Amino acid sequence: MKRFSLILLLTALISACSIGRAPLVATDVVIAKPRPGMQMTAGYLTLSNNTSQVVTITHVTSPEFEFVEMHESVIEDGMARMYELGKLTILASKSVTFEPGGKHLMLMRPTGDFDNVTLDFYAGKAVVLTVNVALTE
Amino acid sequence: MGPKNSLIASIAIIAIAAGAWLSYQVMAPQPLPQAATVLPAPGELPDFSLVDQSGSAIGRDVFKGHWNLVFFGFTHCPDICPLTLQVLADAKRQLADSGHSPLPRIVLVSVDPERDSPDLMDQYIAYFGDGNLGITGDLEELRKLTNGLGIFFEKSNIDDENYSVDHSAVVLVINPDGQLHALFGAPHEPTNFVHDLPIIMAGR
Repeated sequence: MKRFSLILLLTALISACSIGRAPLVATDVVIAKPRPGMQMTAGYLTLSNNTSQVVTITHVTSPEFEFVEMHESVIEDGMARMYELGKLTILASKSVTFEPGGKHLMLMRPTGDFDNVTLDFYAGKAVVLTVNVALTE
Repeated sequence: MGPKNSLIASIAIIAIAAGAWLSYQVMAPQPLPQAATVLPAPGELPDFSLVDQSGSAIGRDVFKGHWNLVFFGFTHCPDICPLTLQVLADAKRQLADSGHSPLPRIVLVSVDPERDSPDLMDQYIAYFGDGNLGITGDLEELRKLTNGLGIFFEKSNIDDENYSVDHSAVVLVINPDGQLHALFGAPHEPTNFVHDLPIIMAGR
């Protein structure tokens, strides 16, 4: 099954590359500098799948943070709740937006003081997208 | 018609016009809040013993003398809490820009007193402007306040050391007499506060 997924992914990557577009693209990436005293911040962005295959992001890592999780905030019956997204599925030729009050990256425990953040998006063991962005104030 | 009659007629017309204008002012519908629910009668708060962001002991009297916009959240909340506090800060700034007085005070009551020390609250609330109030302290005392106000909160992902806290998303308006006066349900927009707060304050 894993081999099949890898083949699917590779096919998707090749098909996207063959038409000259990156298979997975991140736009409007905004990560705020952790607030004073805070050990965490949130990240927002739009992920666009330019392939003809479904892409499933299984996890995200960053050398600048000990943990990165994909979360979703929801208001249910007047309660603010936050769920961890185990994985993120992006359908072929579709986008998923992480925005305030909805899906977001939760970046926890910064490993130092830095101005830029690198994010690696994984589909299983493969990195399918790497993003480097300057932190906003 | 002689000059005297003309004068009387003019006065009569002016009087009728003034009467019509006055009745319009009295009878015209008063603006209503578009998002807030104003309580038919303000409610007294339960007493409690917590601390503010400087570590000073406070009780329910801490709300007196201000129009308070009270939100229940926690500093480790990455999304909804800073988003809501930013909405309140934006609304306050817009009210200030339009010359409205008095301005509301933004209050964050921590639903995560285990991690939210007064120092942390101090740093956190300062990010959303001056004059804000942060409340934290003993969990049992916090429950006295939240239970009395119909606010619910509970830890989620408690196996995880990076636990989260589910919490009521409402913003409460506590009036300068320290009474629960109105509430704004989520989702929150600055325009709702900018429109409704002057009406709520004037209608008191």
